[in-house]
Amino acid sequence: MKNRDLQRGIIVDQQEGYWRGQFSAMASPCEVLCEIDDPGEAERLTRIVATEAWRVEDKFSRYLRGNIVNRINEANGAPIEVDAETAQLIDFSTTLYDLSNGRFDITSGVLRRLWTFDGSSNIPSRPAVRGVMQYVGWKRATWQAPILQLKRGMEIDFGGIGKEYAVDRAANLLRDASALACLVNFGGDLVAVRKPCARDDWKVGIEATVPSRIAGKKILNLQVGGLATSGDARRFLISNDIRYGHILDALTGWPVPDAPRSITVAADTCTQAGILSTLAMLEGAQAEQFLNAQAVRYWCDRGNDS
Amino acid sequence: MKAKNKKSITGTLAAATCTLLGSSALEPVQAQEDPGWDFNTSLLYYGEDNDRVQDLSLKALTRRTFVDDRFLTVGLTLDSLTGASPNGALPQSVPQTFTRPSGRKTYSTAAGQLPLDDTFHDSRVAVTANWQQPLGRLYQFNVGASASKEFDYLHLGLNAKISRDFNQRNTTLSAGFAVAQDELDPIGGTPTGLTLMLDAADDDDDDDDDEGRRKGPRETKDILDIVFGVTQVVSRNLLVQVSYSYSDTSGYQTDPYKIISVVDGTTGDAVPVIPAPSNGPSHLYYFEHRPDSRAKHSLYTQGKYYMDGKVLDVSYRYMTDDWEIDSHTVDLRFRWPFGGSSYLEPHLRLYSQTAADFYRLSLINGDPLPEYASADHRLGDFDALTVGLKYGWKTSGGNDMSVRLELYTQSGDISSSQLIGNQLGRDNYPDLNAIIFQFGYQFGK
Amino acid sequence: MRAFLFIQGLLVLGIISGCSTMGVEPWDRDVLAKEEMQLTTDPVEAATDDHIYFSKEASSGGRGFGGGGCGCN
Repeated sequence: MKNRDLQRGIIVDQQEGYWRGQFSAMASPCEVLCEIDDPGEAERLTRIVATEAWRVEDKFSRYLRGNIVNRINEANGAPIEVDAETAQLIDFSTTLYDLSNGRFDITSGVLRRLWTFDGSSNIPSRPAVRGVMQYVGWKRATWQAPILQLKRGMEIDFGGIGKEYAVDRAANLLRDASALACLVNFGGDLVAVRKPCARDDWKVGIEATVPSRIAGKKILNLQVGGLATSGDARRFLISNDIRYGHILDALTGWPVPDAPRSITVAADTCTQAGILSTLAMLEGAQAEQFLNAQAVRYWCDRGNDS
Repeated sequence: MKAKNKKSITGTLAAATCTLLGSSALEPVQAQEDPGWDFNTSLLYYGEDNDRVQDLSLKALTRRTFVDDRFLTVGLTLDSLTGASPNGALPQSVPQTFTRPSGRKTYSTAAGQLPLDDTFHDSRVAVTANWQQPLGRLYQFNVGASASKEFDYLHLGLNAKISRDFNQRNTTLSAGFAVAQDELDPIGGTPTGLTLMLDAADDDDDDDDDEGRRKGPRETKDILDIVFGVTQVVSRNLLVQVSYSYSDTSGYQTDPYKIISVVDGTTGDAVPVIPAPSNGPSHLYYFEHRPDSRAKHSLYTQGKYYMDGKVLDVSYRYMTDDWEIDSHTVDLRFRWPFGGSSYLEPHLRLYSQTAADFYRLSLINGDPLPEYASADHRLGDFDALTVGLKYGWKTSGGNDMSVRLELYTQSGDISSSQLIGNQLGRDNYPDLNAIIFQFGYQFGK
Repeated sequence: MRAFLFIQGLLVLGIISGCSTMGVEPWDRDVLAKEEMQLTTDPVEAATDDHIYFSKEASSGGRGFGGGGCGCN
């Protein structure tokens, strides 16, 4: 706990036109931008966001002993009663499981034992994947709110939605705590709470995976709403000249072939943006077609030109 | 699986997120790419054989994107023209001398050569501007202006277009118009049509009242263009466009520098001036004269077909006007991508036109003068062929570059019934052969 | 030549009347969104060609408006 406290500091500094509060959460650099002149108020608002970020992290991180996720994962086949917030997250995950036809699945976390996306060529063998796949599948779980029962060996992992959820929860608190225009950004998953007053928009940079005509970085203008990016710029494997992105298809246990290098989606909330970009990645070569059908604004980078 | 791909899940997702977060009545998201400037530039060389026209042209088009799909496009073109153009007179088996348009000097053509006037080493500057924006959800509006200047020519124009989408944006109807006023201030003044080319005046002769020379107000012409178009998505891989346009020009349309040879009715040879002047035309030549009005109708159809990465672009245009000119243009391009970011694009263009009713190779000495007459090859019967190849690639910075090389050849189509006497043995209408070489570079900021 | 115009006119009417059922769903517009599938892929090249052929032939334009006149025809 001591280490954690050390890592849980907040720093505020002044930028041009706004104050920025920074802290670390969910293994990401986080920031809160407030259109304000008062550093004291900036710190207060950052603390509200950071407190919520750490709360969500502590409650739903699979690394922390004793929290609800840990108790579910060590239940060894026994039913576990969950609280209201966890039940809502599980309900949401069930909806995503249906919307993605089973390819997005919170029980797929066990596959991380096989897949380490570190740029190497360590592709697991097919028998190994098949072996782990017997512990993957939401249909194998029994969920009747508020009781969740997983089969022995199964685990749940909210990693695919946790960060965006935290962003939106923090944004809701900010919206109530202040009338200011603010932007909450957890490592690239972000939401703008209210349009800025003193400028036209928040400028958000997206790194291109290969140099593009705008010198390596695309700039998006965000007035209000959420942005989330799914991408494999740093997390990937290469074997036999095939590049494997880090989004795993929970039905097969393998990465999705022909997925774009990076997809950024704009939606009303960070959660919706994140889900859409993940679901689009799961569509692989059809990612753009899928996003066109959803009529959302998106920016897709396939590495080479397109 | 396929059917699910195509369903919209945003509604379900929005409802589920609302339940999860407990937040309702959120503002809809607003996000766009940062507008910047896109540049499209090119360097062009156009060169005809036999010391005819050569053009070096620099073109730049820049487009700025504004919020909400609004665009401003500004273009600049700089042209430098050198070389010589046919002056309309027929080649003869003897040398010929002509007075320059300035009226001060003369120039000569060797026997057997196509008479070319090499007076013009001209520069041209042209600018265009265009504003595009949506009007409501289904309409799009364009408005633009254009202007160009050469030493003897000024063009000013305005245009506007509106289009509307139908049928889930599969069909677009558009209507537009353009108006322009062009002004011509010929060197040496405007010659009266169908009068004789006169001797050159001495430098110290200040008499401006030469018969046949007017140093009067500039000549103008007004042009009105109207276009109606339909664009239709036929399938996932096929897009088709059809458009009809009407163009009306009224005012001075004669080329003040072009002449027509006067020939003997039997031999077909040019009629020499006797005695030969010391400083003037060697034979009889009349200045050409075109009608004051011209109405054109065109029908244009284009299709673009995507075949597994390759694109076939086919278009056909039919034009007819009240000068009795009809033309057909078929244009084919095939873009063949390879290597991930390069492509080759062969190009074929076939063109043919029939002559204007007042087009003639020569005037017969002694016959009554027609009301209108021109020997300008560009109004005659001819076929033209363009064959070209374009190669495009992406630079390491991700920008588009391309080069294209094309060969253009135009060959006149004169039936022997139109030829008189010795004209039958001559090449009265030599082919035009030209090279087009263009280098293009696109980048953005 | 009048017959040509008539046939082309029928083509236009045919396209317009057939339009209400033809087309694709929004998610099938991925190919049409590609740069090489635009009706005018390179406006600078198109303007260059329009100008060259306007100076050397008696026809002009067809698909839209050019950038302006010149003294070359």
